Parts: sequence; C-alpha cells; structure tokens
Amino acid sequence: MRTRRRAVIAGGAVLVLLALGPGPSRVLAPPDALAHKAKHTPDQLAQFQQVFMEQVRIGDLLFHGDADTEKQLNVILSKTGMACAMCHPFASDTHPHEFPKFQEQVQKFSTLRDMINWCIEKPNEGEKIDSDSDAMKALEAYIYWSNRGSRLDTGRH
Amino acid sequence: MDLREADLDPRQIDIEIRKPGAQPDRSLAITRRTFINKAILAGTAAGAASVGWFPIINTLDLAFGQQAAFKFAWLSDTHLYPKDVNTRFVEKAVRAVQEIKAMTPPADFLIFGGDMAQLGDPVEIDLGADILKELTIKKVFIPGEHDWYLDLGTKWERTFGKTPWSFDHKGVRFIGLNTVGFVPDYWSAKKMTPKERMGHMATLDGSVAGPWAGVGEAQRQWLDRAISDWPKNRPLVLFTHTPLYEYYPPWNFWTRDWREVHEIVRPFANVTNIHGHTHQVLYNEIGALRSIGMLATSWPWPYAPEGVPALTRAMIRADPGDHFDGVGWERLTRTAADKIENEYVMWGRKDIFADSMADSGTADNVNQILSPRIADRMYPY
Repeated sequence: MRTRRRAVIAGGAVLVLLALGPGPSRVLAPPDALAHKAKHTPDQLAQFQQVFMEQVRIGDLLFHGDADTEKQLNVILSKTGMACAMCHPFASDTHPHEFPKFQEQVQKFSTLRDMINWCIEKPNEGEKIDSDSDAMKALEAYIYWSNRGSRLDTGRH
Repeated sequence: MDLREADLDPRQIDIEIRKPGAQPDRSLAITRRTFINKAILAGTAAGAASVGWFPIINTLDLAFGQQAAFKFAWLSDTHLYPKDVNTRFVEKAVRAVQEIKAMTPPADFLIFGGDMAQLGDPVEIDLGADILKELTIKKVFIPGEHDWYLDLGTKWERTFGKTPWSFDHKGVRFIGLNTVGFVPDYWSAKKMTPKERMGHMATLDGSVAGPWAGVGEAQRQWLDRAISDWPKNRPLVLFTHTPLYEYYPPWNFWTRDWREVHEIVRPFANVTNIHGHTHQVLYNEIGALRSIGMLATSWPWPYAPEGVPALTRAMIRADPGDHFDGVGWERLTRTAADKIENEYVMWGRKDIFADSMADSGTADNVNQILSPRIADRMYPY
C-alpha cells in the first residue's frame, strides 16, 4: 500500500514537472523532490551562481549604456548618450545597502528600484522601465553585486 | 639664524624656513600654507595664530608685494556631445564661458584643462572651440583622454596646438603637460576600430585601457630642461589633466610616474599642480608640491572609496536632480605674496564644502565597498 502511494505521488510529481515545462530550477530538481529534499550538489550551486552572474553581466552592460543590450531588452535608458556608470563608476554612490529610505529627489519613501527609475528619467533623460522587468532585475543584480561587502545601513540619508 | 632680527630680508626668512633641516614642524607647515589657500576654514587661521605664525605670515605677505596680483581662469571637463544629442553639457559650457567673460578685471588667460569632447569626435572638438571663441583673452590648452583616443590626438593638436608647453607670465612659469596621450597600445592586438578604442578609454571604470595616465620619459626630460633656468624660489605652476599623485588608480585618478615628476620639481619651493579629470574638489600636499583638483562643467563624480587626500575638505553631495549642482569652473589668483589661490565657482548652491557628514560627498565611504566591473573583461575582451 505504502509503495503504491509513493509511486502515485512520484508519478504525479513527474506529470506536474512535465506540465510546467523546463526552467533552470525545475530541470535541476530530481523527480522525487516532492517526496524528500535532495542535498545540493556542487554542480547545482555552480549553476545557481552562473544564473546570477549572467544577470550581473547583463546589468553591467546596461549600467554602462550598451546599446545592443538595451535593444534586446527593449529599454531606453537614456536619450542623451548618458549611462549610469558615467556618474557611478563601479556603481559607487548608488548605496543599495541603504535602501529603502526616504529619497529626497523622489520626495517619497523609496526602494532601490524607485531610485533607479528616477535616475533613468531625470538625469539620464531616458524612459522609465517596468519595475518587475528583466532589465530592472539585471540592473539591480549588478548594483548589488558591485556593492557586496558594504555595510547594511538601511534608511541612512 | 635668529629669525627675530628685524632687518632680515623676509625672503631670506622664507628660504630659511623652507630648508629641509630648518623646516617648522610638519603640522605647522601645513597650517601656514593652507591658511593662505582660501579652501580652509577660519578655524585653521585661529590655529595658526595660536602657534605664533601670524606675525611672520603678515610680514611675508607685505614684503612680497612686489608684483601686483593677477587672475586666471580654469575650465575643463565639458565632455561635449554633438548639440543634437545632449544640450545640457553645451548649456553648462556656455554658461561657464559667459561667466569667465564677465570677470572684472578680465582674467589674464584661460587654461582649458582637457576633456572638451566626450568621444573625441571632431564635431565635439569643433563645438568646444566654437563655444570658446567667445573668449578673446589668451587661451592655453591641455588634452584629456576623451579628446585624444578617437584619432590619437590629431584633431586636438591641429585645433589647439601641441603639448607640452611653457610660458612665463608676471613672474610665474606656467607649464602644460600631456598626461593622457601615452597609453600602451591596447587596441591593435584586438583589432579595435577607432570608435571602440575611444569607447574603452571613455569608460572611467573600464578595465580594458589599463593604467593610461602618465607623463612619460620624454616629457619628463622636457620638463627638467624647461625648468632648469627658473629660479628655485619663484612660483611654478604645472597644469595636468590627471592629478600628479596617486589618488585612485582603478579610475585612473593618478599619474603613473608622479614620483619621478615630484623628483624633478623637488628643488623648487613654490610648485602648484592644478588638475582636472576628477570632477570634484580635491587638495593635496606632498612636500612642497600642492595639487588642487578642479571641477567639471559636465557632472560631478563621487569621491573614490579610498585614497581621498587627508587635506581635502570634501565638497557637498551633489543633487542628481539639478544638473547645475556640483559643477562649475575656477578663478585662480597669483597673489602679491606669490601664492596661487583658488576660488571654486560652483553652481547650484552657495555652499561648496560640506560641514557635516550628511552633506558630504565622502559620506558613502563609511559603508561602501566596491568591485571592479566584469562585462568588459569577458569574451571577446
């Protein structure tokens, strides 16, 4: 009885996985993941890191005004030739470790994404991007990555 | 020598004071020299008074009143794009020129400190030359890296002449050096187009162009010859695009062979290095050589995460919402006492220097740790 139930559950899991389709995390999960958790393998961890660093790389390109990447992601970060990196070399003075906070320029309590969009619109004279878009996440990834090791000090003006 | 002798020539006192063995305590020397620099708070003056230097400073000031003071203007880092791409940078360059034109009495000359163009485009250089045509005073030029690497300086030199140069003016020797034109070749092996070469050089935090700022052996030898006949106690001013010391090499906020340059000017008692490139207020002293950092007209840069000279009084954190904030030009004076004094003309607000951490441009460095970028180091670079 127990064995059949386990087989049914396992079979159901496989069907669910097939229905949802491939994706980095789902491909990595072994078929019996719903029955018990499998330990992380070094390969898996390396793949997670790879996904992250790829986003950092894309964010780096966007941050430095790479036209091809902007076109691919369908964003216009500046209409006057400006790039984020021009005022923020190494993503300095972006202080992602101090958000969310009251942001003077926006006159609102803001997250990092709010500030990124404000910067795109005002100093960069570009077009605001969707807060949940891939481009925003990539920019965020690069900004955080470049500032890793900084002291978390949320709310500092 | 008894320095209280009333009939001693004050100039002799100064030479005596500046001799290595007889030099006052390091802290006093800084206090005295930087008191004269307008960049320092009134508090330092009180400090100078309390250690008894006041009578000597006043005496020197009066005694040196042999040549009248004169003013000159510094303008740099306009980073012009073609007019149809970016109008803000043009606006700001035009404003600076108008304000320099309005100086009364007029400045004796203008020094343009480099980075006129953003991408070294002849259109951008011509635009800059056009904007500067309004100024009819004498103009001298040194290039920045943004002016040079599209065509390796061809358009720049044709328009503004070659570097290095030197001229004497009312008892000061002014020297213009090129610290941007001598980078080791990073483009041929990778078969870069001129635009790609310029693009990498134009990225301050890029990792492809490498440590490009340097004076170079040939120019150092020229410098040595150029100052060999200049009296050792007369003022010497070195104009460079990059700072003549090591501030932050990852952003090329330095000059590779700065130590050798310091060696060459070591015999001189009164040397001032005035530089651009860093787009921020900076002040440093190494031995007798003072380095004063000038503002850009285009945009202000954050202070580097490390290396800000201890003597620098930080400028305010600029407001990114106001494109006139944290930028401007400078009025410099050679005073009657042979000192080079600097006055920042910063737009956007009345306070140039920060009084508290909340306003300071260095405030982020309490928490911030940064990493070099990666995307330009990966394939195909």
